[in-house]
Amino acid sequence: MAREVTLLWWAMLGFASLVLLGVTALWLYAMHRAPRETSAEQARRINRRWIVGGGLLLPGLSILLLLAFGIPAGHRLLPLPLAEPPLRIEVTGHQWWWEVRYPDGVVTANQLHIPAGRPVDLAVSSADVIHSFWVPRLGGKLDMIPGRRHVLRLQADRPGTYRGQCAEFCGSQHAHMAIDVVAHDEPAFQAWMAARRELRFSPPPGEAGAVFEQRCGRCHRVAGVSEGGRAPDLTDVGSRPSLGAGTLDNRPGALRRWLREHQRLKPGNGMPAHDDVTPETLDRIADWLETLAP
Amino acid sequence: MSRDMPSPEAERLHERFNAVWGNPTGWRALTVVNHTTVGLRFLVTGALFFLFGGLLAMLLRTQLALPGRDFMGPDLYNQVFTMHGTVMMFLFAVPMMEGLAVYLIPKMIGARDLVFPRLSALGYFCYLFGGLILVASLFLDIAPKAGWFMYTPLSSAAHTPGPNSDFWLLGITFVEISAVSAGVELVVSILRTRTRGMTLDRMPLYAWYILVMAMMIVVGFPPLILGSILLELERAAGLPFFEVARGGDPLLWQHLFWLFGHPEVYIIFLPAAGIVSTLLPVFAQRPIVGYRWVVLGVLSTGFISFGLWVHHMFTVGIPQLAQAFFSAASMLVAIPTGVQIFAWLATLWLGRPVYHVPMLWLVGFLVIFVAGGLTGVMLALVPFDWQVHDTHFVVAHMHYVLVGGMFFPLMAGLYYWLPHFSGRMPSVRLGRWGFWLVFVGFNLTFLVMHWTGLLGMPRRIYTYPTGLGWDWPNLISSIGSFVMAIGIATVLLDIVLHFRFGLPAKENPWHADTLEWATSLPPTSYNFASLPEVRGRHPLWDDPGLPQSIAHGEHALAVIDHGRRETWGSDPLTGQTREIIHLPGNSWLPVIAAALIAGVCLSLLTRAYGLAALFALTSLGVLLRWSWENGAHPKAAPDAKTQPGDPPLHSRTCDGPGLWGMAVTLLADGALYLSLLFGWFYLWTVAPDWQVPERAGFDQRLLLASAVLLAVATFWQRRLLVRLRQGDARGLAGGLAGVAGLGLLHAVLLLWALLGGELAPRQTAHDAVIAVVLGYSLVHGLLAAVLSALQGWRVRCGYVGVETPYEPLVVEQLWYYNLGVLWIGYFALVLFPPTWGAA
Amino acid sequence: MRPLRSPYNPIHIALGLVIWSLWFVALYGGLSVACRVAPPALSLGMWNWLNLLLGLFSVATVALLLGLARWSWRAASRAGKRSPERFAARLAATVHLVGAVATLVVAVPLLRLPPCV
Repeated sequence: MAREVTLLWWAMLGFASLVLLGVTALWLYAMHRAPRETSAEQARRINRRWIVGGGLLLPGLSILLLLAFGIPAGHRLLPLPLAEPPLRIEVTGHQWWWEVRYPDGVVTANQLHIPAGRPVDLAVSSADVIHSFWVPRLGGKLDMIPGRRHVLRLQADRPGTYRGQCAEFCGSQHAHMAIDVVAHDEPAFQAWMAARRELRFSPPPGEAGAVFEQRCGRCHRVAGVSEGGRAPDLTDVGSRPSLGAGTLDNRPGALRRWLREHQRLKPGNGMPAHDDVTPETLDRIADWLETLAP
Repeated sequence: MSRDMPSPEAERLHERFNAVWGNPTGWRALTVVNHTTVGLRFLVTGALFFLFGGLLAMLLRTQLALPGRDFMGPDLYNQVFTMHGTVMMFLFAVPMMEGLAVYLIPKMIGARDLVFPRLSALGYFCYLFGGLILVASLFLDIAPKAGWFMYTPLSSAAHTPGPNSDFWLLGITFVEISAVSAGVELVVSILRTRTRGMTLDRMPLYAWYILVMAMMIVVGFPPLILGSILLELERAAGLPFFEVARGGDPLLWQHLFWLFGHPEVYIIFLPAAGIVSTLLPVFAQRPIVGYRWVVLGVLSTGFISFGLWVHHMFTVGIPQLAQAFFSAASMLVAIPTGVQIFAWLATLWLGRPVYHVPMLWLVGFLVIFVAGGLTGVMLALVPFDWQVHDTHFVVAHMHYVLVGGMFFPLMAGLYYWLPHFSGRMPSVRLGRWGFWLVFVGFNLTFLVMHWTGLLGMPRRIYTYPTGLGWDWPNLISSIGSFVMAIGIATVLLDIVLHFRFGLPAKENPWHADTLEWATSLPPTSYNFASLPEVRGRHPLWDDPGLPQSIAHGEHALAVIDHGRRETWGSDPLTGQTREIIHLPGNSWLPVIAAALIAGVCLSLLTRAYGLAALFALTSLGVLLRWSWENGAHPKAAPDAKTQPGDPPLHSRTCDGPGLWGMAVTLLADGALYLSLLFGWFYLWTVAPDWQVPERAGFDQRLLLASAVLLAVATFWQRRLLVRLRQGDARGLAGGLAGVAGLGLLHAVLLLWALLGGELAPRQTAHDAVIAVVLGYSLVHGLLAAVLSALQGWRVRCGYVGVETPYEPLVVEQLWYYNLGVLWIGYFALVLFPPTWGAA
Repeated sequence: MRPLRSPYNPIHIALGLVIWSLWFVALYGGLSVACRVAPPALSLGMWNWLNLLLGLFSVATVALLLGLARWSWRAASRAGKRSPERFAARLAATVHLVGAVATLVVAVPLLRLPPCV
């Protein structure tokens, strides 16, 4: 859907460049041309020609043209009712992460899996301050406002991973609030949904399990292990493209680093620094988290 | 005339005028109210704040030059970008443009000073103190950090505890006192103090631009002032105007902010365009083409710019049809701008352009501003805006419009009027270097930034990862910004050097047509020893000998033995002189009042509310003292003798400038009240979780009784003043005291309604708004009562009477206003809710 | 000062765009309130009571502005050549015209879009 806007952009850019060049050239020519005598009558004619032609007609017609193309284009981007209601996913912004809820109870965070080739409705809102949901390559943005739930319609034409980022300034870690949108072809999407629905884990053995349940689990949910609801759901964290809402690529070992240094990597994020937990235990937890994937 | 060839008579006249008008030195320089001095102070202070804001920009660009830098942490970065925007908008752009207007307007319209000189001084000190308080917060590491737009809930107490946001809300409101007072003063000065014969259609175009700008300030700033007051009340006292859970709505803040914020852009742009319209004809050596067209364009821009604010909110989920209205209006505003651009073009086409450094800046302005305008039209297109809103594309667009539309013309104007400020000419070579460095640096920085935005880089992020294609464009932007900084340093050097090495300016060095070049260079504090009559749009082209004849006292009001500072009071349309306006002289009151208001601001910041109340009452006392020294008071104009044939002093008429000042102030006040009502109806209609308490929070009969009482008082006063106009002042003092008493009673009833019921302003936004509406009328009622009581007392002192009926008439307007406001409030609070099916 | 009703009172210079502003506020306010109270069905497209009502209101505003423009223009031609009165009245007439055009342009989307989505 972003394609139409791209087209609009190139057309506008071309037209604007022409106008800019034209006006500048005229202006420079007017300054440098040899002065000549003009009668009052001639002056009045020239004056009218410039002001009516350049000042009224040029911008006036451009505006009508723009509105004629722009308003319908905008209309087509709206979430109007379709014959077959599209998949509706709830996305909620938090300082500074994204909560994603599918209709059948699947919850994930900081990543959004969608089917390619058909429209998807995202019902966006916020739990704290105003955020804005935006995946540049898929379409426009929509603000996520506390107390309101607005609907943004997106469509990925081809499978792939698209990066999104919060577009409304939302506080100290506004820079680290990205979301990875993964578009699958239809069978792959259905497979992901099915696998994700079934996902259940048991806690890691020993000290790590105890620490996770007593501390991490208070805020984080891992299906089958903990039910915390204040922080991102970690049930599939091992399979996510990035950690900390785009702060760190989720390569092997990245979770270890994140658990130790997250307040340095993303200062001010909501997770307390856990310096009192031994590094070994943190590493155990991180290694276990890495295995959480559908 | 230049200083180097004084004739003895002119010199003697100058000495006599200087004895009345001259500026004191030393500490007493703080008492100066003269517009030339105040204007220059505005300009210098604005320039310093500009350098500070520019420095902040350099810090931002240093941080963003490379991906993943930790030159600044997120908290500091957020403070710095918030302060960059705030300083540039509120402490540089608006005050700078106002300062230039304060300096130029009286000279251009042939007046000796602005019409309320003490107000100019108060405005300056409020600006200075407010600016210093704001800037100090950055050094204390508690600067505002929620963006210059302060969106709530991010800026609310829950999400930004600490005083950061308070600095912004209080500091900016304080600074805005200065903006609004300058606005009021410029409107009245332009309409009422033009020299004899300067009809509306002979006004220099710059005066038209400033008139429209000043009116826009008067109407456009109050929504933000109201928003700031409400948000500060929410932060400090817990009144939930913007909190969803208690029935408020964060979008209300955005509406109030942009209701101000968009006109603000034009408030900055219009005076700059006024500079262009002043300079171009001078350098093209012919009158501007299409004077009427330009005036029409300026007026249309001024109005239409109030219909655009929602285009900053296209992504908040407003119905598409409503967005389309604003989209169309946003594009519409391109037309009056286009008319002006082509009028300038036609002027150049028909003229014989000559080249000086200011012309370079004008060409730079054209290229950059037109580019910015074109991207602006693109942004007005809703679907495109959804894509690039809040990205670096918008950052680039906005800088093209603001730097191109404001900074470049301002530089042209500075170079043009430099000989006026200093009596010396700037250097051509250094000036050229400065221009080209700024021009190239600017485009390097911001042209590339469009691309960065299209690549998807959002605004206001303190760092970004590598690998998204953002690395190169950011580096180029950063390099460009440093080139621009070097350019600005060059310009600065040029200006500093010119004071020492510039060639002395000849009389009217650019062969300009407007009256400001008929003063001596640099000008005296009274501008003109005699006020010339004007017979066309180009007084200096019509009569190049004006500087001499003015200095020799060959025109009007050349007598100064009475010791009064005088200027013409004229008819707004025809420029016929109707009265002599006598202006107050230097005074400590403005600086003391500003310092006390700064005390209010600081005590609110430190949450010392008792102290704040004390400061507020003292500053009110000072302001009342200020109003006391007017009219027939010994410090103002005790005797009313004028020259034979001259019109009377304004304080001896029924139509002095104070009436106009009050009317324009009430317009600003009314804009504030309307914004409040807008908030009330807005919350009723769209607040997501609007709650109406079961029981009415206040006794509605009290409100009705209070409104009736106010009506009785107002009409009683009206009768007294009708009789006064007819020459009958019997029982005036007692009558005014009675009116004040009734006014006090009505205020007491309001207070009772406010406190006596079960109003719970902390529980719901519903009750919070009611409390503010009642509080608003309460404060106004008390003020009106005090002012009328003082008028009664003035009657006793002999300052007000049949010969001097003027001042009670000024106060009378406030009563009518209060009456209207209270009844509207009654309708909105009592009669409206049932129609909405309140339950 | 001239009385307010005189076409040469300079206050009329701004009147056209003041009317435009009031119309704009009423348009936006009316739309918001109507969408809250009784939103017309989306399937009606632009042919619904609300668009129709707002459209009629806009047409009436345009008519008023054009009438005032004519009134000012006639007054201008009665005033003396090169007099400030003529200038003020002519300017007022053109500002009324600008107001009328601005009303038309801003109202154009009423012809394309359903009101409440």
